[in-house]
Amino acid sequence: MSGSKRISGWFSERLKLEDLPFFKTPDYMYHVNEWLGALVAASFIYTIISGLILLLYYNPEAGYQSTEAIIQQVPYGSVVLYSHLYGAYAMIILAYVHMFRNYFAGAYKRPRELLWILGVLMLVLTLGASFLGYSLIGDALAVSAVDVGAGIITSIPQLSFLIPIIFGNYDTGDYERVLAMHIILVALIGLLFVFHFFLAEQYGMMPSRKVKPKVPAVYTKEEWSRFNPWWPRNFVYMSSLIFITWGFILAVPNALAYLNGLPQFLNPFMNPKPAPPPNSPAAAHITTYPPWFFLFLYKIADFTSDVVVFLLIGVIIPLVYLVLVPFIDRSDELHPLRRKVFTGIGILMMTYLIQTSLWGDLAPGVEVSVKEQVVAYLIPAIIVALGLTFMKPLENQGKVIKGTSPLTSILFVIVAMLFAGAWVELLQYPSAFTFAVTAFFGSLFYLGAKEMSKVVLTSVPNRALPETRQATVSTSNETKKKFAEILMSLLFILVVILVAQMWTIPPTGYASNLFGVDLGLVFLMLGEAISLYHYVVYKKPNEVVE
Amino acid sequence: MPLKFRLGNGEKGVLRTSDLLFIQKMLKTMRNPKTRFDSREFVEKGEDYLFNYVGKNVGGVDEGRRNFLKGIVIGIAAATVVGVVPGLRVLVPPVQQASGFPKSLLTDSSGNPVKASSVPVNSPIIMLFEYPLTGEPNFLINLGDKDNNPVAIAPVEVTVPQTGKSYKFPGGVGPKNSIVAYSAICQHLGCTPPYIHFYPPNYVGPSQLTAPEPDTLTAQALLAAKQANVPALIHCDCHGSTYDPYRGAAVLTGPTVRPLPAVLLEWDNSTDYLYAIGAIGVATYPEGADGTPSQDPNSDLNTSQFGSSVGDKTQLQASTNPFSGS
Repeated sequence: MSGSKRISGWFSERLKLEDLPFFKTPDYMYHVNEWLGALVAASFIYTIISGLILLLYYNPEAGYQSTEAIIQQVPYGSVVLYSHLYGAYAMIILAYVHMFRNYFAGAYKRPRELLWILGVLMLVLTLGASFLGYSLIGDALAVSAVDVGAGIITSIPQLSFLIPIIFGNYDTGDYERVLAMHIILVALIGLLFVFHFFLAEQYGMMPSRKVKPKVPAVYTKEEWSRFNPWWPRNFVYMSSLIFITWGFILAVPNALAYLNGLPQFLNPFMNPKPAPPPNSPAAAHITTYPPWFFLFLYKIADFTSDVVVFLLIGVIIPLVYLVLVPFIDRSDELHPLRRKVFTGIGILMMTYLIQTSLWGDLAPGVEVSVKEQVVAYLIPAIIVALGLTFMKPLENQGKVIKGTSPLTSILFVIVAMLFAGAWVELLQYPSAFTFAVTAFFGSLFYLGAKEMSKVVLTSVPNRALPETRQATVSTSNETKKKFAEILMSLLFILVVILVAQMWTIPPTGYASNLFGVDLGLVFLMLGEAISLYHYVVYKKPNEVVE
Repeated sequence: MPLKFRLGNGEKGVLRTSDLLFIQKMLKTMRNPKTRFDSREFVEKGEDYLFNYVGKNVGGVDEGRRNFLKGIVIGIAAATVVGVVPGLRVLVPPVQQASGFPKSLLTDSSGNPVKASSVPVNSPIIMLFEYPLTGEPNFLINLGDKDNNPVAIAPVEVTVPQTGKSYKFPGGVGPKNSIVAYSAICQHLGCTPPYIHFYPPNYVGPSQLTAPEPDTLTAQALLAAKQANVPALIHCDCHGSTYDPYRGAAVLTGPTVRPLPAVLLEWDNSTDYLYAIGAIGVATYPEGADGTPSQDPNSDLNTSQFGSSVGDKTQLQASTNPFSGS
């Protein structure tokens, strides 16, 4: 027995790694779709670590100045600050992806109702914590965002007691309260995360629909005990995902920091730097906008002047729906096309969220008439309703590829050209109308392209032929594994070169963000190397994603 | 050579070359008595046994190869740690060291330069600017006589009672030579405004004896003012130290044993702008265990960890009127 083996044996024995009570995973689940929660957790952990570093320097009595000092004077301060921001961004986006994926998979159904509700609460807390964090910078944007937020609350007199509770003396430049609330909300997320995590471990990951097509979708103890234990395979796979997430969180904002002067409509999404302070002359010239994750609310505020209606549309109804959906959708079907109403609502929620956010970005503060609202929101609803009515769940795999008639080909060409035209129009005159038109032709184009691609990409002659399922029984993935090994060696060399270069980067000033980019790349390569290792060592040749 | 078969007029691949080679190798291993394939176990355990068997014996990931790959992963992880190490400098707080006194233009709160002729005479409002470092407040005072007419402040020799040494205060600047600037940190125990502030002539009188904090004058301070024949004072309400603004903030009454350091001002008579260009007197913060200040105001530029250099502009804040409450 070699020395290293003895050491790892000692640890795995002491830590009881072999029989950790964590979920054992079937082979087909080593795919990122099943691990979205881990990605959210990874960005959460990153954001906490970077936030604690920032806490060492941030001074709530001089929010803007200390933010500037962190960027300008603290060694690699801008790297930490920008990636803290993007860690929160990543967490929000991934939380949405995680939520919608589980929504369509029916993961909120029995027995996972509580898990789902905890998740919805965590999303709300995440958005709240992000808003407060955004306010801590104290730049012109943050101050205006707080003004808008406080304005919404005060317009309902019964709620105005919340203002001092949430914001304290924000107006006088004292952000002590906001900082404390920011940390408190994050701590609450952490607390709920513990419950969420252990509940998820309890029920296990949601089995594939092919294995368990009906509620309750849980593996029995007997099935479960045959799967891959958490140590070491899950650990290896999970760490690769964590490092890749961290890599993106670090690399993207620090690379974006080198962009100068973006078009205004890209600013909310891509600019990691603070705006000028609110009392500076420059502040008068900037367009204020909320953080991108609240752009949708910002736009809904243009629909109505009644705050109660606004809160109902933008916050209360969607939230109540999400919390109650496990109790409304009580069928035991999991296939999205067997619960079309809920799938439709989900698609529309997603569409409306993206659509309204973009609209708020392109035309902030422009009043919208009822007619325009109907046009903008009815079209996606009609498309979804029609689409879902005619779609049927695919039962048998023996698909028949139909040939295309010349007429459909011509129709497709026309749709493609209309789509291209609408796209150009949208870029030139971004408005709700052009957006809706583009989205409409875009979806037609997508559906058409999907049909056409079967004909174009497969070399099946243009005749109705039953597809012979090609049984490519690959007995080994040895060649791929060899290739993976070579890649790993290359990654090692690249990482060493990058790391050597990182030691030469100055800790402050213009070049310092390069450190963040490099560190991000190193994390990405580390994650990739671990992922390749997982592939070579653990991947069985018969594994498929289901 | 891949295995193919012909059907009608199309050729169809069945096995790739690599797969063919693999199968040959696998069959050979299975027949090998040393690594014989146990068909009974296969029936029992199913394909798991087959894959384990292949992984172990036929080119799969054997011990050596696995260790090599593990080594690479650990190598990359170690390199990542090495890469994170310089990033740990983020934990070292930046220590601000100013190498010298900047020449700083005094501006108002909206960023426009302060005009010397518009600085109010004997203003009760505390006017402060940070210099030479952020977090180091200084008074800006346009001194006048009892009737609030500006008085020219002549250069004067200032004695430091603690050490007995003295230095030359260069006098006032501005159109009437009446504008002076002193450190607003009391040399006794470091109280800052509004506890220490300027008392204009109309507030130097017996009525201030009973005024609420921070506007109380002590009887000693009033007496000293009378003896020195000065109409206005700088007085600290914490412990009662009094300074003479007309004579380089020299000590009038204790407990302070050091005068306030003065900020050297420069007045540009073509633009009427004011600049802070340096300091004179004792250091702003006392050094050493006995609290004896350095004579050299430069010394705390090198040791101060309280702020960064204010740069070429410093803002004049005139927001607090200590007397408004009384």
